[in-house]
Amino acid sequence: MTHPSGLPQPEGPYPPTEEMLAEQVPDDLRHAQADRLRAAWATPKGIRYMTAVNNSEVGKWYCLTALVFMLLAGVMALIIRLQLATPENDLVSADRFNQLFTMHGSAMMFLFAVPLFEAISILLLPGMLGARDMPFPRLSAFGYWCFLIGGVFVIGSIFFDAAPRAGWFMYPPLATQDEGPGSDIWLLGLSFIEVASIAAAVELIVGTLKCRPPGMRVNLMPLYAWYVLVVGGMILFAFPPLIAGDFLFELERSFDWPFFDPTRGGDPMLWQHLFWIFGHPEVYIIFLPSIAIAAMVIPTVARRPIFGYSWIVLSAVGTGFLSFGLWVHHMFTTGLPSISLGFFSAASEAVVIPTGIQIFAFLATLMAGRVKMTLPMLWISGALAIFTMGGLTGVMLALAPFDFQAHDTYFIVAHLHYTLFGGMVFPVIAGVYYFFPFIQKKVLSVRLGKWAFWLTFTGFNLCFLPMHLTGLWGMPRRVYTYPTGLGWDWLNLISTLGAFVIAAGFAVFVWDLIRPKHRQPQIPRNPWGGGTLEWTHDVPEEAWGVRSIPHISTRYPLWDQPDMVERMDAGRYYLPDAEEGLRETLVTSVIDAEPVQVQRVTGPTWITLWAAAFTGGAFIFPTFSWYLPAIISGALAILCIIGWLWTATARPPEADAKDVGLGLRLPTYAAGPSSVGWWAMWITMLGDATAYASLVFGFFFYWTASPNFPPEGAAHPDAALVALAAVAFAVNWILTVGARRLNRQGSVTAARLCLILAPLVAAGGATALVTSVLDTDPTSHVYPAILWALAIWTAVHSGAGVIMQLYCLAGSLFGKMTPRYDADIWNVSLFWHFVTISALVSCAVLGLAPGAL
Amino acid sequence: MKEERQPTRREDQREFSEEKASLFRITLAPLIWAAHFVACYGLVAVTCAKGWDIEAVRVGLLVFSLAALGGILWIGRAAWRRWNVSETGDFVNRGGRAEDRHHFLGHAAFLLSIISGIGVVFVSLPLVLIGGCQ
Repeated sequence: MTHPSGLPQPEGPYPPTEEMLAEQVPDDLRHAQADRLRAAWATPKGIRYMTAVNNSEVGKWYCLTALVFMLLAGVMALIIRLQLATPENDLVSADRFNQLFTMHGSAMMFLFAVPLFEAISILLLPGMLGARDMPFPRLSAFGYWCFLIGGVFVIGSIFFDAAPRAGWFMYPPLATQDEGPGSDIWLLGLSFIEVASIAAAVELIVGTLKCRPPGMRVNLMPLYAWYVLVVGGMILFAFPPLIAGDFLFELERSFDWPFFDPTRGGDPMLWQHLFWIFGHPEVYIIFLPSIAIAAMVIPTVARRPIFGYSWIVLSAVGTGFLSFGLWVHHMFTTGLPSISLGFFSAASEAVVIPTGIQIFAFLATLMAGRVKMTLPMLWISGALAIFTMGGLTGVMLALAPFDFQAHDTYFIVAHLHYTLFGGMVFPVIAGVYYFFPFIQKKVLSVRLGKWAFWLTFTGFNLCFLPMHLTGLWGMPRRVYTYPTGLGWDWLNLISTLGAFVIAAGFAVFVWDLIRPKHRQPQIPRNPWGGGTLEWTHDVPEEAWGVRSIPHISTRYPLWDQPDMVERMDAGRYYLPDAEEGLRETLVTSVIDAEPVQVQRVTGPTWITLWAAAFTGGAFIFPTFSWYLPAIISGALAILCIIGWLWTATARPPEADAKDVGLGLRLPTYAAGPSSVGWWAMWITMLGDATAYASLVFGFFFYWTASPNFPPEGAAHPDAALVALAAVAFAVNWILTVGARRLNRQGSVTAARLCLILAPLVAAGGATALVTSVLDTDPTSHVYPAILWALAIWTAVHSGAGVIMQLYCLAGSLFGKMTPRYDADIWNVSLFWHFVTISALVSCAVLGLAPGAL
Repeated sequence: MKEERQPTRREDQREFSEEKASLFRITLAPLIWAAHFVACYGLVAVTCAKGWDIEAVRVGLLVFSLAALGGILWIGRAAWRRWNVSETGDFVNRGGRAEDRHHFLGHAAFLLSIISGIGVVFVSLPLVLIGGCQ
C-alpha cells in the first residue's frame, strides 16, 4: 500500500508475536550490529566533545549549568539575609540590595527553575520512552547554548554593578525609567532564554507524542511523560504573553513608544497583566515536573504501581488549565473591581482540588505499598511536608481580603518559598539521588545525603517559618534595612541563621555530587528496582540509548514483562542495527504508539554553537544600543540556521523504506502531518499565535482602560494601503498552498513559479502594511504606538515566511525538495496559515478599528 | 472483573475511531471552563470600565454559566459511557489493549469534566454574591 505521494506505508506484522521475539539472533551478527550502533552514536572526543548533541550530554550540561546559576543566586540570597540580620545594617547599599534581590528572583526563576525542567526532561525522557534520542537533538543543543550565553550575560551583570534592580517582575514605570542598562539586560537576556525554553518545549512535546516505543499507548505512558505534555503545553501558552510584553517594553525603552506611560495614554497595568499571565502558570510550570519526579520515585519505593493513574493525569491536566485563571491574584491590590477579584479568587481556590488529588494519590500509594525509606523517599517526604504548608498559606492568600493585609509583606516571601522549596527544590533533589545511577552510573552517599537533607530541612524551616510572623507584624518585602524596636529584630536574626544552615545543607549535597567516585564499584543495572524503561540502561554506559527499541504492553514493563531486558540487549526488538551508519529512532502514532516511520536523527556539529553565538549577539548588542552589530549578528544566525536545516533535515533518503526488525518495514521519510517536523511547526505556531494574541489583547486593553483611545483628532492608518496589504497576504497564501499542491502533483515548474511570485507578493503586503502607519507618530501616544507594533510584528513574521519560501524554491531547484519528498513546503505552508491569519487580523485592527471604536 | 463480551468488528471501529489521532478530546471540559472564565472576566471588565449595564451582563453570564455546566455534563456523560466501568469493573485500565486505552481516555475525560464543573460553579459564585462594580 502506498501514500498519495507514492511513499510506502508500514508493512509487515505488528504487534510482534511471542515466537518472533523468542527467535535468537546469531552471535556474530549481534556483535556486528552492536559495533555499528556504537560507531553511529559515539560521543565526540577532545575539544569536539562540545559538538555533541546527544540528549545524555546536552542534558548533563544543561543540569550542571542550571545548578551553577542556582548556587550563584543562593549566594545572593545569603548576602540579602546578612544585610537583614540586624536592624540598620549597612553591609550593602540600597542600590546593591535592589540588584541582589532582583537578580536572586530572576536567576532562580529564569536560570534555574524553568530551564531545569527542560534539562531534566532532555536527560531522562528518551530513557523513559525507550527512544534513542529526542526527535531534534540539534535543537536541544542550540537551546542549551542559548541558555548558557544568555545566562552568563544576565547573571554576569551583577559583577559590573549593572544588574537590573526593579524587582524580578520589572514593573513599569520604575523599570522603564530606570537609568543604565539593567532593565535592558533583564529584558533582552531573558527573552533570549525564553525563546530557547519554547524551543525545548516543542522538542519535548513532539518527543512525547511521536517517539514512544511501539505499544506504549497513552494509558501506559510513564506519568512523567504526561506531565511533560501538560507542562510543554503550558509553556506554549504562558511564555508568549511575556515575550509580547518584553517586545512592547523594549520598544518603550529603546524608542520611547509610550506603552506603559500614562501621560501619553499608556498603562503600566498592561505589563502587570502580561507578566502575570506568564508569571502565575510559571509557578505550576515549575511545580508539575518536580511532582512528576515524585510520581516516578514513589511507585519504586512503595514497590507497587501508582495508585490512581487516571486521577493523577486528571490532576496534571486540570492544574494545567486552572492555573491560567489565577494571574490576577498577584494584582489583588491594584484597584480592580471586586467582582473581577472574585473570579480570580474562585479559580485560585479551585486549583487546590487537583493539586490536593495528586498529593493524596501519592499518600495512598505509599500507604498501600511496602515502603523502603531510601534517600530519594526522604527528600520526597520533606517535600510533601513543606509543600502542604505552602499550600495552606496559599489558600489564605487566595482570599482577597486576607491578601489586602498580607500583600507585599514577608508573609508572601514565606509562602512563596514554602511552595517553591516544597514543590520544586526538594522533589528535584530527590530526583537527583534517584536518577544519579541512571545518569552517571554511580550512587551518591547515603550518609552525606542524610546530612544534606536534615541540614536543608531544618535550615529551611528556621529561615522561612519566622517570616510568616515577621510579615504579619508588618515587615514589608524588598526593604534593604529596617529600624530597631518593631519586634522584627530577633525574627530576622533567626531567619539569617536558618539561611546559612540551608547553605550548609547545599554544600554537603554539592560535594556529594562532584566528589571523585572512581573508586566506587560498578553499580547494578537497576539499583532501586524501578519498573519503568529508563532502568534498562546499559552499565557501563553506552551512548545509543537502548540497544533495541522494545515493544511495550504494560505500565511497568520491567516488573511485568520478564524477558524484555534480555531481549532488548540481544537486539531482538526494533532497530537493533545502524546499517547506514546513521542515527535513527522510531516514530510512532500519537494515541496507540504504532510504529509509522524511521526517523533519521542529526549528529554532532559545530553549527548549533555558532547559531547560538550569533543569536546571542542579536539579543545582547541592543542592550548597549549597538544596533548595527546586532543586525549583522542576527543575519549570521539566520545563515547558520539555514545551513544547518539545508544539510541535515528532510533530505531525500537513499531508500524509501527499510527493515527495522521483526519483519516490519517502515518508511524513512514523511511529510505533512505524519512527520515530526510538521508537528514541531504546528506547536511552535501555537506559541507564536499566543504572543500575537497578547498584542491584540493590548490594543483592546487600552481601549477599555483609557477613555482617550484613540485620542481626538489622531491620525489613522491609510485604509487603502491596509486593504492592499490584506489582498496581498491573501494572494500570497493562495500561491503558497498552490505551490505545495502543484509540486505534489508533479507540476514542478508551476510550483516554482508560485514560489517566485509568493515572496514578492508577501514582501509587498508587508511593505504596504508598514507604510500605512508611517504618517502616524508612535512616540506621541499609545494608539499609534500599538498600531506600529502590530505592523512590525506582522512584517517581521512575513520576512521569516519569505525566507522560508525562498528556501523551498532553492530546495526545488537543487533537488532537496521533489514532488515525492516535500516535507519543507508542507511546513512552510503551515507557517503561512498562521501568519496569514495574524496578518489579516492586523489589517482588520488597523483598517477597521478607527471607525468602529 | 466480569467476563468480557467480545465486541464485533463494526463496534470496534465505531468506538475507537473517535480518538484515532487526537488527545484533544479529553481537554474539552476544561476548555469549556476556560471559555467560561474568559467570558466572565472579559465581559465584566469591559462592562465596569465602560459603564455598561452590569445587571444585564450578570444575568446573561449566569445563563451562560448554566449552559457551560450543561455542556460539561453532556461531555461527562459521554465520557462515562466510554469508560464503561459498570460493565468492565476495571478502574485502572492498566492493560495494553486498545480497549484499555479507550476506557482510560473515557475515565480521564470523566474526571476532568467533574473538576471543570466545580471550576465553573466556583467562578460563577462571584456573579451571584457580588452585586456590582465596586
